[in-house]
Amino acid sequence: MTMGRSAIRTRMRDPGLVAAPSVDPATVRVMFEYVAWATFWLLVGTIIGLIASIKLHWPEFMPFAWLSFGRVRPAHTNLVLFGWSSLVLVGLSLYVVSRTSRVPLWSPRLARLALWLWNLALLGGLLTLLAGVNRGPQEYREWVWPLAVILAAAVVIDGYVAYRTVAARTLPEVYVSNWYILGGFCYLPILYVASYLPFYQAGLGNTVVQGYYMHNVMGMWFTQLALGVSYYAIPRLLGRPVYSYALGVLGFWTNLLFYPLIGAHHFIFSPVPWWLQSTAILFSVGMMVPVWAGTGNLLLTFKGGGGAVRRSYALPFFVTGLIGYGLASTQGTIEAFRTANIYWHFTNFTVGHSHATMYGFIAFIAWGAVYGLVPRLTGREPNPLAVGIHFWLALVGILTYVISISVAGVLQGFAWVAGQSFIASVIAAEPMWLWRTIGGLLMVSSHVVFAANVWAMRPQRVIAPTPTPDVVRIPA
Amino acid sequence: MSFGGLHTDHRAIVAAAIIVFFVLTLVMAVLPALREQAFSTRAGATPRGNEEERGRQVYLREGCGFCHTQFVRDLPMDRPYGRPSRPGDYALEDPPMLGTQRTGPDLSDVGTRQSSETWHLIHLYDPRAVVPQSVMPAYRWYFVVKDQAGPGDVVVPVPADSAPRGKVIVAGPDGKELVRYLLSLKQAKVSP
Repeated sequence: MTMGRSAIRTRMRDPGLVAAPSVDPATVRVMFEYVAWATFWLLVGTIIGLIASIKLHWPEFMPFAWLSFGRVRPAHTNLVLFGWSSLVLVGLSLYVVSRTSRVPLWSPRLARLALWLWNLALLGGLLTLLAGVNRGPQEYREWVWPLAVILAAAVVIDGYVAYRTVAARTLPEVYVSNWYILGGFCYLPILYVASYLPFYQAGLGNTVVQGYYMHNVMGMWFTQLALGVSYYAIPRLLGRPVYSYALGVLGFWTNLLFYPLIGAHHFIFSPVPWWLQSTAILFSVGMMVPVWAGTGNLLLTFKGGGGAVRRSYALPFFVTGLIGYGLASTQGTIEAFRTANIYWHFTNFTVGHSHATMYGFIAFIAWGAVYGLVPRLTGREPNPLAVGIHFWLALVGILTYVISISVAGVLQGFAWVAGQSFIASVIAAEPMWLWRTIGGLLMVSSHVVFAANVWAMRPQRVIAPTPTPDVVRIPA
Repeated sequence: MSFGGLHTDHRAIVAAAIIVFFVLTLVMAVLPALREQAFSTRAGATPRGNEEERGRQVYLREGCGFCHTQFVRDLPMDRPYGRPSRPGDYALEDPPMLGTQRTGPDLSDVGTRQSSETWHLIHLYDPRAVVPQSVMPAYRWYFVVKDQAGPGDVVVPVPADSAPRGKVIVAGPDGKELVRYLLSLKQAKVSP
């Protein structure tokens, strides 16, 4: 029998990678399926985003009802949030709980069932939103309730699989990654149900819930899973322990205590109760504790590991993502101040912030984890040059995007404060909208390269029957 | 290192996470929402008629609220849009559409500011016919192109270069209802 293609290689091009032995093949397959579907939704979701972007400087582009701006915008946000970001992080998280607990995933079959529920909800969400069937402009909860029920069921199933896996662990400690991951799986269902129940949402009650929901879905779901994955993958790729375990736990608790208090900062100067707004501003500052505890802790884990970063194609994504986390979160704190709000609220600056966080932080962390973990499991690596092209297209793309759209936001804010007619703010922002499309084009191109790389990393049908040792084999 | 035994007890971690987040959700979202819901009253406002309500459904369907706020702040820059919004303004709104982006102007009081049905119809059919620099989508699918207007048709007097030669543009039912809704957006007069 030839070892050749069917054997898991023990030596990777990326020196940070060591082929993992004896990982349960079913766990690997289902994790890869999540990553692959996430990649599919990333492509669909960002192409739709690009269409929305083009429409702002070329309003006659694709003048069809199903693709009008007001319909593609929620289709874009829901697909990149619940399609790409959620699925890739859930897939990676299920793998992380399995590895850190040293047991196979509790039930890969249930995880696969959940994946198809996600896909069903996402497809339904895409079609209904483009058809104009929605709950109005309630950000990230535009889907009609039957779809929300399917999505909530998928999250609960995934969370239960993760919980049972951690419960079956062979080590006494619950590794800090699993605090974040199990936390995220607890928070999202509570949040989602609270945001859809109608009993307290007449009139302005709805707006109170809207601020709470749209904010917490970020910090109590995406951030949780992204940090959970990072706390496993970064030490693993560097081959050294995390800088401070205690800081990781501190971040977990402060995030849980502060983050839910700040949702109302999306409705500063609104008729929403003043105490709610002031609390939100205060704890937006408090958020600097978990943000910099997390960023600092994980960046300090790299201390002295510069060589590993230069030789690895996965680690630069993590470094970028962590810097993105620290900077974009700090930006969010500043935006919450009332004075800053006067200039920036209602402007495109907010759009820049949301892309800086969901892309500059979440997407880069997810990519780093995919490139860092998947080849270890499948024994197949992407071409490092292609990974480099992905990295630079995505980085230059997001920088172009965020800088241009933030400038657009500042120009809009200045035009309004100066008391000019409304159309002056449109005229001022329009050249920047063209630059935003250019950035978006680079981003979408990087996703095409990423999709090709995911394909290159796909698992083989036949996994090598003999387990390979968990060491780097030194060539004779 | 010990964290009160939590670090070896997955049940305790999950229970703590659920309880804390549940309590914070009650305190920061559900209870304030209940209170806001209870004390909103809409002084001097009349509920919408059927046509206006159907127009609001069109407004929701098209996601108008992603670019147009209905939320006037007590700031100098918001004065052109009306008086500062009050809780009562949203009492009958499901969902209220305060919004987070102003790619287009605020519409809280647009029925007062722009009360011409004809202007709104032209604007919906071809926004750039009335505001050359506008980036708003043209909602052509709410209009019918006809050779000749029939009885009862609302003909939209679009500029010659916006319509096919020799044809007339007639407002469809959804388009007319959407305009009814926009014209109904008038802030209630309230004493300070």
